Amino acid sequence: MLQDSGFTDVVIGAAVDTFGGANGEDKARAFEVYGYTFMATRSVGMSA
Amino acid sequence: MHADDPHAAAGTVAGDLPVDPAALREEVRGKYREVAVDPGASFHFHIGRGLARRLGYEAAAVDALPDPAVESFAGVGNPFSLRRLASGERVVDVGSGAGFDSFIAAGQVGRGGQVVGVDMTAEMLAKSRRTAEALGLAHVEFREGLAEALPVADGWADVVISNGVINLCADKQAVFAEIRRVLRPGGQLQFADIANGRPVPAEALRDIDLWTG
Repeated sequence: MLQDSGFTDVVIGAAVDTFGGANGEDKARAFEVYGYTFMATRSVGMSA
Repeated sequence: MHADDPHAAAGTVAGDLPVDPAALREEVRGKYREVAVDPGASFHFHIGRGLARRLGYEAAAVDALPDPAVESFAGVGNPFSLRRLASGERVVDVGSGAGFDSFIAAGQVGRGGQVVGVDMTAEMLAKSRRTAEALGLAHVEFREGLAEALPVADGWADVVISNGVINLCADKQAVFAEIRRVLRPGGQLQFADIANGRPVPAEALRDIDLWTG
């Protein structure tokens, strides 16, 4: 989706266990939900 | 600066989305109003200083912030983990909440930079503005607005940050189009958010309560 939106050079960081030990942990585990950091560069061209 | 209907501008219509964006927005606003005014309450996610430690923020930067800047922090990752902001950069924080990431950004860009936090929840905005004033941070400003319609001029930002916000927006395509609009060509988007490794059933995607709980 980032590339479709006009971003390039997408980097994704390591998964973080955002919900571990929280009340929502069970639901997060059910769908393998983790936090990630994303980085991308806005393309220079006019169109996405 | 931005279209009256950000969803239409991004090429989507409400019928394409799993939930109604306005209804989801109200649900999210209600949840985060509670996080702003009663951070000691029980939530399904971690908040505050413990969460900042968990996500790997620099301890010295967090320790330097007063409690109101940190206690309502509810991010899901660390937008600064892949790249530290540079001195003098102009930053937009999408969904700035009580201002935690904006204040971290302010420390990295220094007083020669500028940080604009944007949030839709009045209680979060009030809290972040009080903290900025208490800290005497003239280069940090908080504006009311939506991720799909940022109150920021075209190409103003060197960097856009966000933390745990885009997953709460029904029309992600509209959000990314808006982020692209406010970034200068070559500018950086660095954000943290959640992603699921297993597919969420279609009926669950249409259940608005599951988006925030």
